[in-house]
Amino acid sequence: MDEQTSRKTSGVATVISQFTPRSVASLALAFLVVLIFYFLPTPEGLTFAGKMMISILLMGAILWIAEPIPLAITGLLIMIIQPLFGIREINDVFASFGNQAVFFLIGAFILATALEKHGIHRRIALRFLSFFGNNPKSFTFGIMASCAFLSFLMPEHGVAAFFLPIATSILIATKIIPRQSNFGKVSMLSIAYGCSIGSLGTLIGGARNPLTIEILAEQGITVTFFDWMVIAMPVVFLCLPVVWFILQFVFPIEPVDITWAKHAIDEQVQETGKLRQQGILVVAIFLMTVSLWVFFSHVIGLAVIALLGCILLFVTRTISWKDVEQHLPWGIILLYGGAITLGVGMSQTGAGAWIAQLVVNTVGDHALLVIFVLILVTVLLTNTMSNIGAVAILLPIAFGIATELPGISPLFGSMIVALSGGLAFMLVIATPGNAITYSSGYFSTRDLLKAGSLANAVCIAIIFVVAWLYWGGVLHI
Amino acid sequence: MFDNVLIPISSEFYSRDVLKQSISLVHTLKSKIHVMYIIEKKTLMKSEERMDSYRTSYETNVLQQAVVDDQKQMADTVVFEDAKQFLSKHNILVEENIVEGEFSDAIADELQKHDYDLILMGFGKRCSLRYRLFYQCNIPIWVVSGSEKRSILAVCSNLAPNQKVPEISKQLSQMFNWPLHLLYVVDPKDPVHVDRYGKRSAKQSLDGLIAEGSSFIKEQQKQGIQASIVVGSLEKETLKAAESHAANLIIVGREQKHHSLFDFSSKSTKRKIAENCKYSVLFVN
Repeated sequence: MDEQTSRKTSGVATVISQFTPRSVASLALAFLVVLIFYFLPTPEGLTFAGKMMISILLMGAILWIAEPIPLAITGLLIMIIQPLFGIREINDVFASFGNQAVFFLIGAFILATALEKHGIHRRIALRFLSFFGNNPKSFTFGIMASCAFLSFLMPEHGVAAFFLPIATSILIATKIIPRQSNFGKVSMLSIAYGCSIGSLGTLIGGARNPLTIEILAEQGITVTFFDWMVIAMPVVFLCLPVVWFILQFVFPIEPVDITWAKHAIDEQVQETGKLRQQGILVVAIFLMTVSLWVFFSHVIGLAVIALLGCILLFVTRTISWKDVEQHLPWGIILLYGGAITLGVGMSQTGAGAWIAQLVVNTVGDHALLVIFVLILVTVLLTNTMSNIGAVAILLPIAFGIATELPGISPLFGSMIVALSGGLAFMLVIATPGNAITYSSGYFSTRDLLKAGSLANAVCIAIIFVVAWLYWGGVLHI
Repeated sequence: MFDNVLIPISSEFYSRDVLKQSISLVHTLKSKIHVMYIIEKKTLMKSEERMDSYRTSYETNVLQQAVVDDQKQMADTVVFEDAKQFLSKHNILVEENIVEGEFSDAIADELQKHDYDLILMGFGKRCSLRYRLFYQCNIPIWVVSGSEKRSILAVCSNLAPNQKVPEISKQLSQMFNWPLHLLYVVDPKDPVHVDRYGKRSAKQSLDGLIAEGSSFIKEQQKQGIQASIVVGSLEKETLKAAESHAANLIIVGREQKHHSLFDFSSKSTKRKIAENCKYSVLFVN
């Protein structure tokens, strides 16, 4: 065999070796589903486009769960497969990718990059933490509250990533042995859960939030930045202390000399020093942007405000394009694009409404039961796949159910899915926050499952009660 | 017998029981102890996979480097410090190093660099340490579990060469002054005989295997060793005997078990014993 042939053979072998039986099987299954649906007779009440959209929904679910290809590439596949099967026009598919929520997301990432570059997030976190250093329990609550608060202002996984070294340095200072100490476990889980819970509060925390408002906007329902906070914040403020109590219950914290932790925080506060002029400018631009989002997003639009903030950051030279390149995850944008075209496609082809009808016929028109099932299914799905994917799959169905069922509005149904989609507490693969904190080695997958399953069960109850009493009874949405 | 002992500590599992066991080895056998902390690559990989699409490669690299640096610092200032403090009370000095990688590979690399006679390691249930090591390694592996009892169960079978196990068991029994019981298991599901070179024979009758086992037992009994023979699965009979003899150390040899085409169990006999057993296990390879 000559050298060239041998190199070719080894190249092919390398490509083949990257495919595990699981990835080959899931890819084959995903495409097989589409193919089977193509040849299946179209059920009554559903168009051919609707039938194929359901097959794409199932294909997306399989690929997002098994991940034989990157999440973002599944997003692209969802987009291109629609015109390929003649389900939607090419221009329609790509047009829904160019909506304002995508640019809001890009803007939010750039703003978060500026906060990160000037260490503002670190300052906020350390100041916040320094108020909670009296005993190990309050310290872990401090971690959780800081993460939740910061997740109101920047993407949740960004918060988890920068908080991890802070928490680790404190655990090292207190001589905590990984996996043996409940203080170590609770501290790390507080980061993961704090970020997840905080991300529910505003549109910035999780990409699934702008996805929800965009899909609602496509149906003519406008939700402003402030509206979102009014609807979501009670869930955050109830879940936060309850989940913290659960962590204390599942992993009772051993006596720990917290003095070293306080020293470590004080040292880090001193290291950060005073905020420089450029940092102050970033804070001012960020505050202005958030104020505009809260008070004027219904007039100017979320994306315009976000991009205005970004342009100001560049004009004031507080951020460079290199910074943006280093911190803007285009993968999420592509994933988001796929998710939104899936949602729009499901609604436009009537597939969402058809599934909703099927669900209502099966479960009946018991509004409370439907709400509970929706929350439960979303939580289970978001624990096994990307939460944007889970929300993208369930949102059109929830929207359809809410349209069919008296007593639930489309906004109500969508918010249930959007908020439940953030409660990925049980598995490492469920959300980047869990994966990031798991890499520290302070807790095991079993610890996560133990605390997460209980936390999920209680949070399901909280969302159910808030939805029933507050959204339905007070906000009348 | 065990002059140089390697104690690998996975970033997924650290137990003082291993250190406790090393004390008796050092004091009885004058062994040198080397502690190696392994930052498990698979833990980092797991998080990297999930961050794919959500974080840029720059951010992922920065975070992973920070995690590795923190783990090194933690190993140095927390784990090694704890181990040194504990062992210094017994006048034992240790050497240590930190490596990154997959548990089995990191140990294999270390074994190539230095001469060790024994691997002494802890085991946390469900910590999913991959026991490829059991196949790759040519030196004995002692998996320590926190038991206070003091006796040895040596396990021989029709599936193992049965050369080193009786020899090492006798030596350890004499050195530590622990009573020894030798168990010979005839596995009827895999009715072959494995010779002293590890070669499997053709299928034999159960009676023939029992006869061979019985003569082996008689030989051991002549040397004053308490011994018995049973027919059944190697793992199950080993665990049953460990329970009934209250053994704190089980010594198992290199078994040559046949795995059929439809045997989907990915776990080796050794791993099954280690996972299901609450006693320490010494795998003599």
